[in-house]
Amino acid sequence: MKKSLLPRSARRQINGWTMASVIGAAVVLLPILYVLTGLFRPANENWDKVKQFLLTDYILGSAKLVIFTGFFATFIGVVLAWLVVGYSFPLRRFYKWALVLPLAMPPYIAAYTYSSMTGYTGVIQATLRNRFDLVLPPGTIDVMSDRGAIFVLTLCLFPYIFMLTRVFLERQSASFIENARLLGHKPLSVFFRVVLPLARPAIMAGVMLVLFEVLSDFGVANYFGVQTVSTAIFQTWFGMYDVQSAMKLAAWLMVAVLGLFMLERLLRRSRRYASPTSRSNPLKPQPLKGIAAWGATLFCTLVFLLAFFFPIAQLVVWAIETGGTVWRSDFLDLTVNTLKGAGLGTAIVLLIAILSSRAARMFDSPFMQALTRLLSAGYAVPGAIVAIGVLAVFIALDEWLAPFYGMLGKEEGALVLSLSLAMLITGYVIRFMATGYGALEAGYEKMPKAYSEASRTLGRSSLATFFRVELPLLRGSLLSGFVLTFVEVVKELPLTMLLRPFNYDTLSTRAYQYATDERVFDAALPSLFLVLIGLISVLFILKAERS
Amino acid sequence: MFTKRSPLTLVVSLMTAATLLAGCGAGNAGQNNTGAATPAPSTAPSTAPSTSPEPAKSGGEVNIYTARHYDVDKELHAAFTEQTGIKVNVVEGKAPELIERMKREGASTPADLFITVDGGILNSAKTEQLLQPIASEVIDKQVPADLRDKDNNWIGLSSRARVIIYAKDRVKPEQLSTYEDLATDKWKGKIAVRSSENLYNQSMLASFIDVMGEKEAEAWAKGFAANLARKPEGGDRDQAKAVVAGVADVAIMNTYYVGQLAASEDAEEKKVAEQIGVFFPNQQTTGTHLNLSGAGLLKTSKNKENAIKLLEFLTAAEAQTKISAANFEFPVNSEAKLPELLTSWGTFKHQNIDFAKYGELNPKAVEIANKVGWE
Repeated sequence: MKKSLLPRSARRQINGWTMASVIGAAVVLLPILYVLTGLFRPANENWDKVKQFLLTDYILGSAKLVIFTGFFATFIGVVLAWLVVGYSFPLRRFYKWALVLPLAMPPYIAAYTYSSMTGYTGVIQATLRNRFDLVLPPGTIDVMSDRGAIFVLTLCLFPYIFMLTRVFLERQSASFIENARLLGHKPLSVFFRVVLPLARPAIMAGVMLVLFEVLSDFGVANYFGVQTVSTAIFQTWFGMYDVQSAMKLAAWLMVAVLGLFMLERLLRRSRRYASPTSRSNPLKPQPLKGIAAWGATLFCTLVFLLAFFFPIAQLVVWAIETGGTVWRSDFLDLTVNTLKGAGLGTAIVLLIAILSSRAARMFDSPFMQALTRLLSAGYAVPGAIVAIGVLAVFIALDEWLAPFYGMLGKEEGALVLSLSLAMLITGYVIRFMATGYGALEAGYEKMPKAYSEASRTLGRSSLATFFRVELPLLRGSLLSGFVLTFVEVVKELPLTMLLRPFNYDTLSTRAYQYATDERVFDAALPSLFLVLIGLISVLFILKAERS
Repeated sequence: MFTKRSPLTLVVSLMTAATLLAGCGAGNAGQNNTGAATPAPSTAPSTAPSTSPEPAKSGGEVNIYTARHYDVDKELHAAFTEQTGIKVNVVEGKAPELIERMKREGASTPADLFITVDGGILNSAKTEQLLQPIASEVIDKQVPADLRDKDNNWIGLSSRARVIIYAKDRVKPEQLSTYEDLATDKWKGKIAVRSSENLYNQSMLASFIDVMGEKEAEAWAKGFAANLARKPEGGDRDQAKAVVAGVADVAIMNTYYVGQLAASEDAEEKKVAEQIGVFFPNQQTTGTHLNLSGAGLLKTSKNKENAIKLLEFLTAAEAQTKISAANFEFPVNSEAKLPELLTSWGTFKHQNIDFAKYGELNPKAVEIANKVGWE
């Protein structure tokens, strides 16, 4: 019975959508598969040395960073999200959006900024020394350490969890929470027994993003001297000149992350989160009074100051000091390049995310699940490794297309695709598929399948169903997917470095140019520009969300 | 080099299938590609005329992959274009990554010059057989033979010395002598240095392996690592700050960062530079460790003449003076003028070593550092 049904249903489903999904998936998957081939490369003596001297320490280092950052970011993100949704207190309206702003700050810039601020010549110690003649014993403030890395990464990454959880709670939770309150649950009990379980998909989506960011981070760990798997990959590559072993290590990292993905999925499997009322009433926040209200304000303020205000204020001061020497007429070009790359990359990510999350919904099988996980795997490995996969595929593509180029009158062996912006954009798409896909998947998960099925049964085409039924319901998810991905691409560095065409600078590469030379002050101006673009896009989305 | 292709065959065949699908499916992905490709800078078509044997005095271009990322380089490129009409196209990146890109691009690589900041990496570009000899009498005159590859596959553009700096108020220069001395008990808990993951340190250790022999170098690294005042952290500038802050008494760092500190826009950093002294070690023995920033000419260069012209321009006294003034690097051209700070340090003797060794011995250096626990 089933057997005879399959082909027909398959035939019905094979249309433009599936074709487009296959192409999109292929573009993303090939470079990832290329990286994964690293698993099967023969081990050489360097690989043995890596295993012998580095691996245990570095895995422990990564685990420590992931666990602590994950814990603190989840704690801060979820508590803040619940505070601003569930309660009213002074400045709540401001913090509802302001606490998303740290997203615009690239972690490695925050790392440089914090270490300089707290360092010997930084504003804190210098003021104490010069004004109050107070010399702090060395090591009093030690940002350049494991703890410092956890601190910086937590502050830069908690907004992922905050944002996704907040949006979810605002839209989906009202009836449950109000019922719980009516039934006499105490605030803590509401939080632990209703809010947490209810928001689990959103929280987990945020946590996953944070974990991947931490695992793939090279900038912060490298600068603070924290040994992680990512830094081990680069030590193998840059230090031992052994790309093969580096790729092998990256492939294993990818496998570990895919395992994590699957585990999370498995744990979530048995539960359903679709809510029949997609347009529920917003939750009415409970007013807080007295100490509780000020406590809430104080907590929000503290996080906001540390994660955003202090580093930005410091960058502004530096930018004013150095602006004259750093400002060049090409800042407009840098900005345009940054916007162009981020705009194109984000658009394609969302397109593929829609196609694949839709496909995953239609053919819900373990294979499809695995495939969609693989699509997001680029987020978890360092950008430079993704870049190698992209480079390999594009150069192969150019070789393969060489006869065709010949017909167009190009010289023999010309590289066309791999010298174009298309290569970099593809890199962005692969690296940041996860942010777009995660948002869309969550959006579809909230939407009962019956809606689309009813529309199809009533004779609407797949396309019409998408535009008339699904898209309006997905609007919120699309917006958050857009902003998360856009801001990521704006901040992106290693892929851009390795895949860019000639004479293509972005704000991020300009900031790096100074920061890598330990000229933190000079890096302030391009960094501020970069943060500003991120801010504008975040604010734009928040506005769109409200209307 | 070509063995790398084998895992690719799988990928390529998968891709063939995908592209076939792309051909008959909606032109969606394809359009995105071509749409994105148009704003890319002029590539193959415009290079074609410049490869003709007639070296047009104006026009043409030269393509650089560079790991140098200094404003002064950009200014010099612009000046070169103004003088010659040759356009300079640049991809900036990290040196090992650029090498990987060139290797994968193979004979099709558009790069004419590979420029970086470490002699070892220049040599690894050479051993990857990416480079060819640079034949120019002008360059031979401007760059001394000991700052060039022995087969002229690459030439030095500027150099930096890795020296000992000390807290003027706690250490007298007479107490300092050699790198070897820093590994003795005398300096226990008194040294600051950045991580061994840093290339400058790897090249330094590689040079010691060559100069002292592997066993001695390992013993040195062990003693040195045991004398560190703190776990390595931060960059070179941070080591100077650690010395002034009293965390350590001496540190190993690059001369050009000392210059940058002294010229900093930040008053506190300037103060740090005033409180440290620069000591060139091993003057009586093997010489101070020197590293090179240099350029290699790609074997497959399609704009070879333009590339050589650019190198002649960059090693001429005028450009060299500018590089040194802006970056506090030592010029390779002896006719260039040094900024005051560099002249104040006087002349010094540097290691007499083939820079190729930095590359050859780098993996060994990394291994030793890992083994002796220099993080």
